[in-house]
Amino acid sequence: MTLTATPSAEAQKRFFSAESLLRPETTLVAVIVVIGAATALRNPNFLNVGNVTDIARAAVMYFVMACGASLLMIGGGLDFSVGAVFTLGGISAALLMKLGVPFPLAIAGGIIIGIFAGYINSKVIERLHVPPIIATLGTFFIYTGLCVQLTGGQDVVPLPREFQALGQGAVLGVPYVVLYALVVGAIFWFMIERTPFGIEVRAVGGNRKAAIANGIKVNKIDTLLYVMEGGTASLAGVIYAARVGSGQVSAGGSGVTLSVVTAVLIGGVSLLGGLGSITGVAVGALLLSEIDNALIMAAVPPQYNTIVVGFILIAAVAIDHVRRERLYRIRR
Amino acid sequence: MSTEPAGTIAGAFMKEVPALALQAVGKAFGQVKALNRVDLEAFSGENHFIVGDNGAGKSTTLKILAGIHGADTGNLLIAGRSVTMRDASEARRHGIAVVHQDLALVECLDVATNMALGDIPRRGRFMLDRRRMEAEAADVLADLKIRVASVRTQIGLLSGGERQIVAIARAVRMNLPIMLLDEPTAALGVRETAHVGEILNNLRNAGKAIICISHDLEFVFAHADRISVMRLGNTVATRRRHDTNRDEIIGLITGAIAGTGTELLS
Repeated sequence: MTLTATPSAEAQKRFFSAESLLRPETTLVAVIVVIGAATALRNPNFLNVGNVTDIARAAVMYFVMACGASLLMIGGGLDFSVGAVFTLGGISAALLMKLGVPFPLAIAGGIIIGIFAGYINSKVIERLHVPPIIATLGTFFIYTGLCVQLTGGQDVVPLPREFQALGQGAVLGVPYVVLYALVVGAIFWFMIERTPFGIEVRAVGGNRKAAIANGIKVNKIDTLLYVMEGGTASLAGVIYAARVGSGQVSAGGSGVTLSVVTAVLIGGVSLLGGLGSITGVAVGALLLSEIDNALIMAAVPPQYNTIVVGFILIAAVAIDHVRRERLYRIRR
Repeated sequence: MSTEPAGTIAGAFMKEVPALALQAVGKAFGQVKALNRVDLEAFSGENHFIVGDNGAGKSTTLKILAGIHGADTGNLLIAGRSVTMRDASEARRHGIAVVHQDLALVECLDVATNMALGDIPRRGRFMLDRRRMEAEAADVLADLKIRVASVRTQIGLLSGGERQIVAIARAVRMNLPIMLLDEPTAALGVRETAHVGEILNNLRNAGKAIICISHDLEFVFAHADRISVMRLGNTVATRRRHDTNRDEIIGLITGAIAGTGTELLS
């Protein structure tokens, strides 16, 4: 007695090519190449080492935050407070340095504050049963107000030179910030693709009821995801403070939140959980940064930037719907 | 009856401690009383079927045994020892594998990963051992004579029947002494249903305690050693298959024949 599962070889072949087209990385890389080529035709300076470095440097801020945000969204969560935690992390570290705390400890302090903010997010969701989108919108406002309260609305300056060097330096032409992003990206990639934890995160996001039935401790995973998201947001905030040389009250905000969520969605992570990859998000963040840069290089008016991003975002989520429909449709 | 110790029922005809027992278990969801009084004893080396109408409390009973719901009243005994379980991972630790009615498979994960959920093979402390995970899945599927094109196929791409078989294979992979199944043949055709019955018989012959909920009386009578009937949140009767027939079981299900709770043999 045998059961034949899955389509025939022929069907699988067809399915394979469709699959590669639906892989977010494939389409995104193609879009990046097309935009790059078009812009380079209008302005050859676009491909200068200096300009490409600029694109990478602008991408990494969002990418570091997007790493935590992607893992969270794959696990079925959502964090709208990320823009505020970004600010909070930066000014906390800056304030600690102003108080005379050595900069390595101040960096750790800023990140720990962000982790704590993420922990609060998870507990508001778990204990008060507030949906993630509302809970983190609420904490977004609270954390934003807290930042103003802590600083009196003033940017925190000056910061130690050694600290600033961490955000401004480069090795062999590669900015340190790009290296930080590569390390964070590698860690998150490894977690998602190569650990049992990554599988459990996908299970929780892909089918929460099934995860519970299989003995996965879903609340523990939720908490860990929000904590890591808070950690990456505040880490990005600290890096940003080092890069600009001050703890800025207006560093983050709703614009950063929306950009991070956009980068994650464009990178092919499913808003409904389960699906997505760090490589996709890396390419997504790069694309956002490239568009930003390309439109300037090609002397296109800035409003086109948001229009283009809007179209790409809608296209990305529409493609995600197609992917989900194939997997989540009940076939008889 | 409420004071009857667990051992006496079984002791009447065999000196054996039940692998799994429920004693006077009750469960309410808010105002709704799902289980009034459930008494059940399942033994190693037996296929024990639970039958009953919709809403009789079969699935709630199974979810209590699986650690998903806690009982409000009564006792759960495993190999004679009283236990309480707070989540599904504890059921597994107590030696219980479960095939849920909704299968509890994650659509976006592949066959091998789904079969390993909750007990994922590791290399060292943090690394996933994907090769071992896939090899184990392939071994179990081969043992059960289930042919799947690839253990890397995502569950969402399989048909309902194929998913059901994967869910059963997952429980078999755990290789635990007690196995619970909730309507394991609901989405299956005649051939596949017979195949599942064969799998259950093999597990029973290997000494496992099998507890299976089913609507399909033909399937029940083909494979059961013992049949418990539930009605309106109570276990109304337990019969050995050879001592009963379809008419009696149907009568007990519909209430046309009044059961006498925990009695086993008339």
